[in-house]
Amino acid sequence: MLKNLKLALLKAIDLTALGFLEPYVRLAYGEEPEKQLRKIGQFTLIPLLVILAGLAVWGVLISPMIKTKSGELPSPGVVASAAGSLHQFSVREGNKEKAYVATGEDRSAWLADVEAELEAIGPEVEAADKAVQSARADEAESKSERIAPLQARVDELKDTMKAERAAKQTALKEHAAELPAGDNPQRAAYLGELAGLEKWVELQEAEIDKIEDRIKLIRDEKDAAVMAALAQQTAAAEREQYLKKMAEQLGEDSREARVADGQAKLDDAKAKFFSAEGAAAYNAARKVISAEERLAKTEESTYAKPATLYFQIQRSILCVFSGFFIGSAIAIPIGVLCGLSSTFMGAMTPFIALFKPVSPIVWLPIALIVASALIPDPDKHWLTQWMWELPLIGQYKINPAFLASAVTVALCSLWATMVNTALGVASVDKDHLNVAKVLRLGFWSRLFKIVLPSSLPLVFAGLRISLGVGWMVLIAAELLSSSEGIGKFVWDQFNNGASDSFAKMMVVVFIVGAIGLLLDRIMVVFQRLVSFEGSIAAV
Amino acid sequence: MTDRYVEIVNLVKAYPNPLGDAIRVVDGFNLTVRKGEVIGVIGHSGCGKSTVLTMVAGLNDITSGDVVVDGKVTDGPGPDRAVVFQAPCLLPWMTAFGNVMLGVKRVYPHGTKQQRKDICEYYLSLVGLADAMHKYPREMSGGMQQRVGIARAIALKPKMLLLDEPFGRLDSLTRMDLQEVILGILDREKITTMVITHDVDEAVYMSDRICMMTNGPRARVGQVLEIPFERPRIRREVLEHELYYDLRGCLIDFLEKFDKHKHPDENAPDCKPEPEPSSEAGSLAPSFGVYTDDALSGSPLTLAEIGGGA
Repeated sequence: MLKNLKLALLKAIDLTALGFLEPYVRLAYGEEPEKQLRKIGQFTLIPLLVILAGLAVWGVLISPMIKTKSGELPSPGVVASAAGSLHQFSVREGNKEKAYVATGEDRSAWLADVEAELEAIGPEVEAADKAVQSARADEAESKSERIAPLQARVDELKDTMKAERAAKQTALKEHAAELPAGDNPQRAAYLGELAGLEKWVELQEAEIDKIEDRIKLIRDEKDAAVMAALAQQTAAAEREQYLKKMAEQLGEDSREARVADGQAKLDDAKAKFFSAEGAAAYNAARKVISAEERLAKTEESTYAKPATLYFQIQRSILCVFSGFFIGSAIAIPIGVLCGLSSTFMGAMTPFIALFKPVSPIVWLPIALIVASALIPDPDKHWLTQWMWELPLIGQYKINPAFLASAVTVALCSLWATMVNTALGVASVDKDHLNVAKVLRLGFWSRLFKIVLPSSLPLVFAGLRISLGVGWMVLIAAELLSSSEGIGKFVWDQFNNGASDSFAKMMVVVFIVGAIGLLLDRIMVVFQRLVSFEGSIAAV
Repeated sequence: MTDRYVEIVNLVKAYPNPLGDAIRVVDGFNLTVRKGEVIGVIGHSGCGKSTVLTMVAGLNDITSGDVVVDGKVTDGPGPDRAVVFQAPCLLPWMTAFGNVMLGVKRVYPHGTKQQRKDICEYYLSLVGLADAMHKYPREMSGGMQQRVGIARAIALKPKMLLLDEPFGRLDSLTRMDLQEVILGILDREKITTMVITHDVDEAVYMSDRICMMTNGPRARVGQVLEIPFERPRIRREVLEHELYYDLRGCLIDFLEKFDKHKHPDENAPDCKPEPEPSSEAGSLAPSFGVYTDDALSGSPLTLAEIGGGA
């Protein structure tokens, strides 16, 4: 039993190409502990150390070196806290969404909790405000202490310079009166003296500027204590804001409250209608109808949740797979035909050669124009309406920008699959084709029993490359098409320019990398599953 | 009809040569095979044995000449001539069972699922793979893979079985096993068989007649040697048979004469094994004959006429 588990684990590790886990499994079964420990050192500890070293280099060396308008390049700690705040944002938005639809006992209990928290946070916010004030005061004090001597020096320099310049100017003016006429050495010397004076003034001014720059630098310096206090203040304020909103969502703004309100209005309208007579009855009846409609809408309504990063990640993944499937659906049949017929291959070669190098940046605007032309109004078009009704996918509100991004992904990623499929189909083992010949298999039978199975490993190698390319293309496409997703998140942060935008963009770097890695691993597993030789595909 | 079940008439394979006349690899190969007979084809490597076999199988275009099986001129490959290649050529994405089933489906299109399954299982157990039916080729040894190849070929119920050095890549113990397997099946199913080999012992042990090919290019049938041992054969008895070494010697003499450096068009060597005229051998003697190339169409010369007359 245990041995079977071990074998299953080892097989799974081999399949997913996560070889570094193997020594742990073997160690757990007490198999050559020394060797396994050595392997753990080699394949786990050393990579971990390298990662730590990389983080250290980033935080200690690189970050302080790169100073930009948006601040220093965020260090690992800052990026991690930005990731934390992104997570917090989505958790809070999720809570708001749930709070809006909460009903009955749940709602009142929750509301009580929130209100208690809100009360508790009041002093916290005040304390944070005070902390900021005192930190600012401390900062101002310490800065003025540092600036005062510099300022004194500047003033002194200015005074002496002015006095000296005035004295020298007067001397020169007096000297001018004594100069003999004509082109003579004395007049040349006079010119020299005047130039000397001006040069001296320039030098003095430069000196003053230098000190003033230093003063400015000190003034601009960001004090760590103030920054920390500010961060705390922001966090407290955000939390207060959130709790207030939650109280609203659970209280008067909750769906239950609004439905009750609507119901009351409806009852009122009905009562009026029942008692109204003559022409007034018509108007009263109309009010009843509209109250009914409004009530129905309120009953269906949900919280208009802003896009959280998790939602954007999910939408990006949906988009990349949509594009990937569109691309594969085009690439595989064409690839098979190319592999089967050299005539077809010859006919396709110009297209492949011409379109393969086209950048996603070129495809996207074209795709966007076409998609918008086909679906001018997503709220009314049957295709978008149909997709919005779909289970699971519906919530992502597929729109023309999404479709354009997916098509761009498809157009950029299908080439690898197409070329690999053609190669796979064209290079089926002659022996296997001989089997088909001896059995006199028909075209379809030969295709599905011999040609396709035999080319599957190469097809999947192509699909793996395609998915990787598609993921890279997608981020750029979303960034340009403003299709809600990771790319748009980056673009929003770039335009937003808040204090933590830079760090949030860095968070995305890791998210994109991790998802790309995951997609590649998934494809590796598929590739291995179809690899009939049992050979280990390149990782 | 049964005497001339398979006729190979004036078979020629020529490859175009841009610098001169076409290269005739095989030139005028004639052979007649009786129904149920096992005919060995032996010759130096590169002499065109495999070319002949692939032409008979229909996998290689015939330049001129005909292959007639059971009264019909063949055209292209078909399941009536099953081939076992030197490499097992199994489809690696199918199990042993799947590989056999692929052919069975073609040959028994009207059978029920259960019937087809039974057929596959029957032939797989015939080659000794009852326990390994659902293994993939990569999980099997070379010998096991070749057994699947044999099962796949025989399950087609072919009119003719073509074996192209089927044991060439196997070690000698496995080879002996598989020889027994094939002979066992042939004794039971009586399939007309052409087996190509360059192993003299294998040829003698397996064949009813051995066709010795001259060296290529322009390879043809040099001699045909009748092997008189009765079937079913028992290896020990064959090895200990008094004629065994004479027959073997005869083949080796032929092959030595056609060693690579000699001219291919040299006259066929004389083959004169000396049988001991004992009472046992006497019963065999009439069918123990040697054809020369020219005597193909005639009745076989008996040893008494050739050897005894010397």
